[in-house]
Amino acid sequence: MSHRRFGALALVAAGALLAACSGGGAGGPAAAGPDPAAWRESITGSIEVGVLPAEGTPGRAYLEKLAESIEAEHPGTQITLTFANTEARPALEQRWRSGDGPDVDYGMFDGTVPAQQVWADDGFLLNLKPYLDAPDPATGKPWSSSFTAAANGFLTNPGDGGVYGVPSEMSTQVLFYNAGMFEQLGITPPRTWDELMATTAALKAKQVDPIAVTGLFQPYMGMWSDNLWLREVGWQKANDVLVNGKGHITDDPGFLAGLEKVQQLRDGGAFIKGFQGTDFTPAQALFFQGKAGMILMGSWLASEMKDVIPPDFRLGVLPFPTVAGGKGDQQAIAAAPQMVSINAKSANVPLALEWVSRLTGTKVQAERAEQFGELSGVVGVPSPKGVTGIDEVVAGASALVPREFAMTGTKAYEFVYAEVARLMFGEQDAGTTLDRIDQQLRELHKN
Amino acid sequence: MFRRAQRRIVVPFLLPASLLLAVFFLYPLARTVQLSFSEFTRTGRQRFVGLSQYAELIGDDQFLASLGHAVVLALAGGCMLFPPAVAIAWAFHQRLHGERVFRFLIFAPVVLSVAVVALMWKFILHPTLGLVNPAFAAIGLGDLVPVLLGDPRTALLAVAFTAVWHGIGIWIVLTTSGFARLPADVLEAGRLDGAGEWTLFARVMLPMMRDLFRTLTILWIVQSLQAFAFVFIMTGGGPFGSTEIPATLMFRVAFENAEFGYAAAMGVVIVVLLLAAALGLNKLLKRDDLEY
Repeated sequence: MSHRRFGALALVAAGALLAACSGGGAGGPAAAGPDPAAWRESITGSIEVGVLPAEGTPGRAYLEKLAESIEAEHPGTQITLTFANTEARPALEQRWRSGDGPDVDYGMFDGTVPAQQVWADDGFLLNLKPYLDAPDPATGKPWSSSFTAAANGFLTNPGDGGVYGVPSEMSTQVLFYNAGMFEQLGITPPRTWDELMATTAALKAKQVDPIAVTGLFQPYMGMWSDNLWLREVGWQKANDVLVNGKGHITDDPGFLAGLEKVQQLRDGGAFIKGFQGTDFTPAQALFFQGKAGMILMGSWLASEMKDVIPPDFRLGVLPFPTVAGGKGDQQAIAAAPQMVSINAKSANVPLALEWVSRLTGTKVQAERAEQFGELSGVVGVPSPKGVTGIDEVVAGASALVPREFAMTGTKAYEFVYAEVARLMFGEQDAGTTLDRIDQQLRELHKN
Repeated sequence: MFRRAQRRIVVPFLLPASLLLAVFFLYPLARTVQLSFSEFTRTGRQRFVGLSQYAELIGDDQFLASLGHAVVLALAGGCMLFPPAVAIAWAFHQRLHGERVFRFLIFAPVVLSVAVVALMWKFILHPTLGLVNPAFAAIGLGDLVPVLLGDPRTALLAVAFTAVWHGIGIWIVLTTSGFARLPADVLEAGRLDGAGEWTLFARVMLPMMRDLFRTLTILWIVQSLQAFAFVFIMTGGGPFGSTEIPATLMFRVAFENAEFGYAAAMGVVIVVLLLAAALGLNKLLKRDDLEY
């Protein structure tokens, strides 16, 4: 063997050896947490907390103050905040996999979404149930009783009955409208599908694009088909077909009817000009600039766009319109919680518990609703100001059902919304969209 | 005796580079191959599945489409890149008034970060808030220009154009150095023989720079496969996957779907394809050494 070949072989062997020496995941059985009745007596040390607002935003400043106040109440403790939203998630998840997750984090658990139960199932998260069941010394009631019935629906892990996260805020999918513009133009906010179509025609007649929508983020386009399917076939049926592989999407004509209504909007020119190349932030900005009359969005819209909403802008909100003859849930609202979880391997669980309990306490929740328009999942917290009618919308809902039919994290999530996007872009009609989704669902569920 | 002495000198010189190569290239490559034989859960648990993920890749429409998009990006981008790069480099080879200003203007985008350039062009191409569509609309030609980033027929071309706009300065510098290396006596001889500037350019200069273009072509293909940031920021792979390239698909599969093994299999296939493409191009464009 020549020296050159020998050298090359040695290099390859060295690489392979290094590769073989590296480890795998960092899961395993979770450590037992502190005594549920006495954890408040041992709040010490330092923790890293994942938070959703970016640095420099008012929401972040609020949380920094909250951290400072906890540190002041418990001398010697230290709370470090880490951005844990959107683009930061892949890196944070990688940290969790390597056993170095933050002490407190978002997006790790949702009892209604199968794909978001794996961290709990694999022992990465602290089971909060014993702490939620223990009485709060201040009120004498269990911590769990502070959450609304709607929020409670997301807390329990169906696998073992544990609770691996609590909501720091809730979001619902609602139809926002420019209340000032509607009043000025003499348009009545639409409550049924027919009224929505009449509204889009009225707005178009006044040279206003009826609906702001992004073409660069498929799940937001999918909100339209999701809500129509919710009205046409209902949550359970859609969840069964899309996620559980029970039956076919062609079995119930409601699925096609929902897609036909999306097509109706498209053919009626209801979406903002150039929506195909408009990202979600510009789409939302166009709505607040009065270039569009309505936008279907999560209830976070008001807090997210707080800095760009003109002072005289009056934001109206409605539940997604009902559909005459629809066999689904006419009063249900798609919702999602922002669940905050505790790392089972945190060195300072009591301090992490203190952060979570303070964050989800009535005082902080009320302040966040007041200052940032957050919708709370805690009992007795008033609805956010600046969004006229959101309290009525939530109160009038027959149920808050998990958004996207719990498709998050599944293969269906990708192709269903891609096909709906094709429909909205005019690449295909409702029938073809249904056929293409059907074909891919059959391949996925092998049914 | 001489060989042993030679080895004593060569080995210490090679050692640092070999170590770097092993740690930053061979180790990641070996690890990627190893990962590709396992299936992962979201929490990082793994299970050995042998070659099954490679078999799955063969029938994966998304992956095959992303490879197709990478080819289109390389071809379309190459067409947008090389003709102007060669033309401008040739112009710089002449004595131009204000050459330094031109050089600065052409090289300036190179020093901007990819994120800045991608965001800037995303704004410029925005259908209502940007510059291109509203400008055409203002002169009554709005219908002629589609929503460039929102149309599956133009989105990839728009991304390719942005990547070319950002990087063309480098390619011009490289091509200019190629022109500068051309022997003056050969060109002078051509001129004495009555060849015009165009004939000299097409029949003498370009053939003499063939080796340079071979290298540049391979470099461009590799670079276009790595146009991750442009696609990620400008379109996110959309509309409906029409701009998805292997790099963005791998990122999504690995870090959004947590299918690290499958993403690793994609990576291995891409490495093999790239090596094959480089070898093929080398063979195709190779010629006997030119002596002058």
